[in-house]
Amino acid sequence: MSQLDPTSRQSVKAPNFVIQVFTHRLFWPVVGLILLWVACGIALPGSDTAPGFWSITMMDGHLFGQIIDILRAAAPILLLALGMCLVIATGGIDLSVGAVMALSSSVSLSYLISSPTRETLPTVLIAIGLGLLTGLVVGLFNGTMVARLKIQPFIATLIIMVAGRGVAFAFTGGRIESVVSPPFKFLGSGFVLSLPTQVVIVTIVAAIVMISVRMSALGVLVESIGVNRQASFLAGVPASSILMLVYGLCGLLAGLAGMIYVAPTMATNANAIGLMLELDAILCVVLGGTALSGGKFYLSGTVVGALLVATLPKAVIYFGFPMQITPLFKGLVILIICIAQSQTLRDQFARRSLRRSVALAEGSPS
Amino acid sequence: MSSALQWINRAGAWGVKYGKVLFASRFLPVIGTLATLVIMLIFGQIRYSGRMGYSFVSLPVLTALLQNNAYLIVLAIGMTFVILSGGIDLSVGAVVALTTVVIARLLPVGVPLGITLIIAVLVGTAMGLLIGVMVQSFGIQPFIASLAVLFLARGLSNVIGVDENGVVRSLAIVHEGFAKLASWSIKFGEGRAIWRINASVLIAIAVLIIAYLVLHHTRFGRTVYGIGQGDNGMAAGLMGLNPERSKIAIYMISGTCAGIAGVLFALFMQTGFCQHGIGMELDAIAAVVIGGTLLAGGSGFVLGSAAGVLVYGLIFVFIPREGLDATWSRIFMGVILLLFVLLQRAITVRGEKRSAGHGAKKPQLASKKASIDEGHRDNRTEVNDE
Repeated sequence: MSQLDPTSRQSVKAPNFVIQVFTHRLFWPVVGLILLWVACGIALPGSDTAPGFWSITMMDGHLFGQIIDILRAAAPILLLALGMCLVIATGGIDLSVGAVMALSSSVSLSYLISSPTRETLPTVLIAIGLGLLTGLVVGLFNGTMVARLKIQPFIATLIIMVAGRGVAFAFTGGRIESVVSPPFKFLGSGFVLSLPTQVVIVTIVAAIVMISVRMSALGVLVESIGVNRQASFLAGVPASSILMLVYGLCGLLAGLAGMIYVAPTMATNANAIGLMLELDAILCVVLGGTALSGGKFYLSGTVVGALLVATLPKAVIYFGFPMQITPLFKGLVILIICIAQSQTLRDQFARRSLRRSVALAEGSPS
Repeated sequence: MSSALQWINRAGAWGVKYGKVLFASRFLPVIGTLATLVIMLIFGQIRYSGRMGYSFVSLPVLTALLQNNAYLIVLAIGMTFVILSGGIDLSVGAVVALTTVVIARLLPVGVPLGITLIIAVLVGTAMGLLIGVMVQSFGIQPFIASLAVLFLARGLSNVIGVDENGVVRSLAIVHEGFAKLASWSIKFGEGRAIWRINASVLIAIAVLIIAYLVLHHTRFGRTVYGIGQGDNGMAAGLMGLNPERSKIAIYMISGTCAGIAGVLFALFMQTGFCQHGIGMELDAIAAVVIGGTLLAGGSGFVLGSAAGVLVYGLIFVFIPREGLDATWSRIFMGVILLLFVLLQRAITVRGEKRSAGHGAKKPQLASKKASIDEGHRDNRTEVNDE
């Protein structure tokens, strides 16, 4: 319940604006992202033959560049992380999203493969609808387990994490099949307003989620469940319905992420799609300053976290390291950011600045 | 006649007396696990026995089951400690991979076998220590701390686990002593009924016994259960136990168990590969949950976890015998997990109702409050902040 602990905030209210910026939840993630991007810029300065990290070129009305690539890679992760953020805010966790991605994309592509009119828009829309429906159903299943049956979220969603990929496998018959369908592929490699389609979709979805959560009471209700489900229940918060909504939304977004993830290759692969992405999504949320214990959540921080997580594997390549070092690099970055924003260090920082301000006040009594 | 009746009566009274203890709610989940194990064995016996005097429930089959799952038993034991304390350790699969790679790299360089194995286990301990320090000293949630170590260990094994050309691949462990250790076994029986116990099984059983003794006969064991009571070890601390130091020790135990499991896995696979053990942490967690340990912490037994591993292992025996695709084992795994979770839930609800009925004047209100409490506590599985 670190984010509920008021001491760190209150004790540093006195000194000045700089301290407030330093102790802001978003400070370390944003600094991490900026440092990483600056380092990437230095590692990849660009030349006449190869564009640099920061260069963005316009080709046939489409934007290309490393940053655009990172945005593209961040799209599915961010979709997962948005739903995950709300789930974590209720004090829960959703381990099933990676398996849901595999499941929804398998359902959707299996329908496309079986359909003779797979290149027409209506069929593709039905396929996408089926995929989204799959995600929603799984999400509602998780919600029922957590809200109605009161099963711990970790274990409730672990069931789908274990079984979901098996179901997806049964759906595709264990084969890796690809299908040609230009409208579907547009999801993954098309451009809208000279930006990649998935980036536009995710931006719109993120905006809708943020606005609807923060402009209404929903966000506060979600937080109240995460802070104290009993108290919020006694205060009249319809905890069960909100939990259903949140888990359903998480599943739905995971379904959408599955479509977007699979669209560039259009190949069913129940084994590899979304593998371990649930951990990446949780990571985005935590790097964004939301505590796993529930309560306050930061969707904007989650966006920063998703960009950070999407940049890491690419940064390894820019720096000229072998690809396989990526997890090590990732682990170190998590370690550093988590320790930097840990309560222990924040308290120490706050105490030191408080001591300094006290010393200052004693030195020059007003 | 009358003496026979007396005997029946006496047996009945005995049954009631010990049945009450056995079916007390803290044992019920484990009883469920054991019952499932027995049902599965009976199912196997009925379905697969008979041909040419072959019997499914026999020492050859059962010891083979133990041999194939020895590493998972050790992993599940370490995980039980962590989950009992209300935490989680996601790093164990990656630590297993790291251990196998360390063994595969150290042995060809000429490091003696004994020292290699000790180093391999200590690598696990060090990873556990890292998680423990992050959890205890920096107040990072176990989930995230162990996730960071998952990536670290996986990355380290990727870096170490390359062959002489710098290519990542599965490294065969070619070492005379190691091969001897892997193939060493005590043989029993003759001909078709031959069965054997190898080093892995012995180590797994030894770890199980030590874990049982530590959990139930030491101050540390009490502290582990105390930390898991949902108050973050406050009560345990007030009782004069030391929850702070114990918390680090718990993760070190889990890391050490992962190291031992890595050695057993290396003996089993005879290779060191950085892609070993992906998702193995989930197998371990699933086995622990099937074994009747509550994920919220504070309730469960290592023996249950071992039984959970055997249930898990039997699924992987049944699926191919039924002629089903290997992917079905994942689905069955999920179904069994679901059944066990529902069973546990039913038991907790029943326990709440009973305790509410005994104690409070307004049973209904009390039971409602208790169920809300429970839901609340369930939600706080991951809470481990200071």
